[in-house]
Amino acid sequence: MRALIKKDLFVLIRQMRMFLVIIVVFAILPGNSMTVFAVVYTAMLPYTALAYDERSKWDQMAAMLPYTNGDIVLSKYLLGYLLMGCAALLSLAAKLITRSDPSGMLLGLCIGLLMMALTLPPMFRFGVEKGRMFFVFLMVLLGVGGTSLVTGITESPNTGSMEHLLMLILPLAAVVLNAVSIPLSIVLYGRRDR
Amino acid sequence: MNAITLNHVNKQFGGVAAIRDLSLTVPSGTICGLVGENGAGKSTTIRLLMGALRPESRTIEVLGTDSFSPEFLHVKEDVGVVLDEAYYPEVLNAVQVGKIMAGTFHRWDAALYDGYLKRFSLPEKKAFKEFSRGMKMKLAIAVALSHKPRLLVLDEATSGLDPIVRDEVLEIFNEFTREEDHSVLISSHILSDLEKLCDYIAFLHQGRLLFCDEKDRLLEEYALFTGTAEQLAELQSDAVVGREASSFGGVRALVKRRQVPAALKLERASVEDIVLFLVKGEKNR
Repeated sequence: MRALIKKDLFVLIRQMRMFLVIIVVFAILPGNSMTVFAVVYTAMLPYTALAYDERSKWDQMAAMLPYTNGDIVLSKYLLGYLLMGCAALLSLAAKLITRSDPSGMLLGLCIGLLMMALTLPPMFRFGVEKGRMFFVFLMVLLGVGGTSLVTGITESPNTGSMEHLLMLILPLAAVVLNAVSIPLSIVLYGRRDR
Repeated sequence: MNAITLNHVNKQFGGVAAIRDLSLTVPSGTICGLVGENGAGKSTTIRLLMGALRPESRTIEVLGTDSFSPEFLHVKEDVGVVLDEAYYPEVLNAVQVGKIMAGTFHRWDAALYDGYLKRFSLPEKKAFKEFSRGMKMKLAIAVALSHKPRLLVLDEATSGLDPIVRDEVLEIFNEFTREEDHSVLISSHILSDLEKLCDYIAFLHQGRLLFCDEKDRLLEEYALFTGTAEQLAELQSDAVVGREASSFGGVRALVKRRQVPAALKLERASVEDIVLFLVKGEKNR
């Protein structure tokens, strides 16, 4: 498993150097929206790693090596968690130094985790190209749903308590959905081209 | 013990049979060549025996372990695989590939890998995408050998290599089988390579195994006849396996040596002759 994560890091560092720098810059810039962007963007890097695997047909080679389907799937989730964790830690350090509000980091983590949980299973089943359609659909859904939710909260007389409730529900939903998403991805990956 | 056992294996893709009732055994300590035209099922057979494809019905054992059992994961440590292409991420270099494989195989020998990189004159820091096909295959062979496997499974591993390197690689495969319990399954279109290397030849045609026999027995059983159509007509019909028109109005045929009169002048048939005539014979049926 560590070997698989190492492979993805080698590929991402080589191919995405500029983007990784942008993520670091956005993570340490002041303002919550920048933090959310940096953390959510790192959650998309497992798709990039999957796309490079598909391009080189690595999955055919991996099937010959002593990896289980679980190793292959879990390595992509762990890659996402690792990169999101790094972006979040950078952002937290910057916020602590500048003594600003770090809540954007938690929001970014929740959105990133939810995004991974919902979009990785179709990508493992249908490949990145077809899985991307699902990703776009989800982004539209999240955009529309998120805007309605924010509007609803800001127009509500209990804005403060609803925000607190949301900040409790979001992390819980992110954890639960990831716990379901991983075994689902393993099953779906096993059904691919067999 | 057998290195590989496939018993009545069937595999379909979208309702089309790719492998039909395939039974094949590779005894431990031998080299078996898998021969067949494009689409005959050679790569599918290799993917099946490594557990990468699920057959409809099967008994598949590699080094005495069921390919679909959880224990097979440990057995994969003992199997070095080279596919028809080296499917490593193209931005990696040979050193990075070595680091990934060191984390993949418990018995990875970094010094042995470095030795192969030097022996094959492979650059350490050059990105894999800039390698020629021959260099890519050499890297895949170096990886397959550097975790000290007991079984090598090679799918067109020598194609794309120049004759000098091919000869060197065949010598490495030969060296590999000097250990008593080391075995090789190699598929190739280059039949002269298989003739040099193999103890057994297995011939797949349209997903079916037409024969799997000792190479020496095959070379002993079959011979080439060159003469006139009239001379050929005098032979027993089942003595002639396949025929083709030769230049100057004659015929050339693959015959069973024991079923033709001893007086008839025959030439030695190569594995390539035997396979080509057998395919033509199948098509003419």
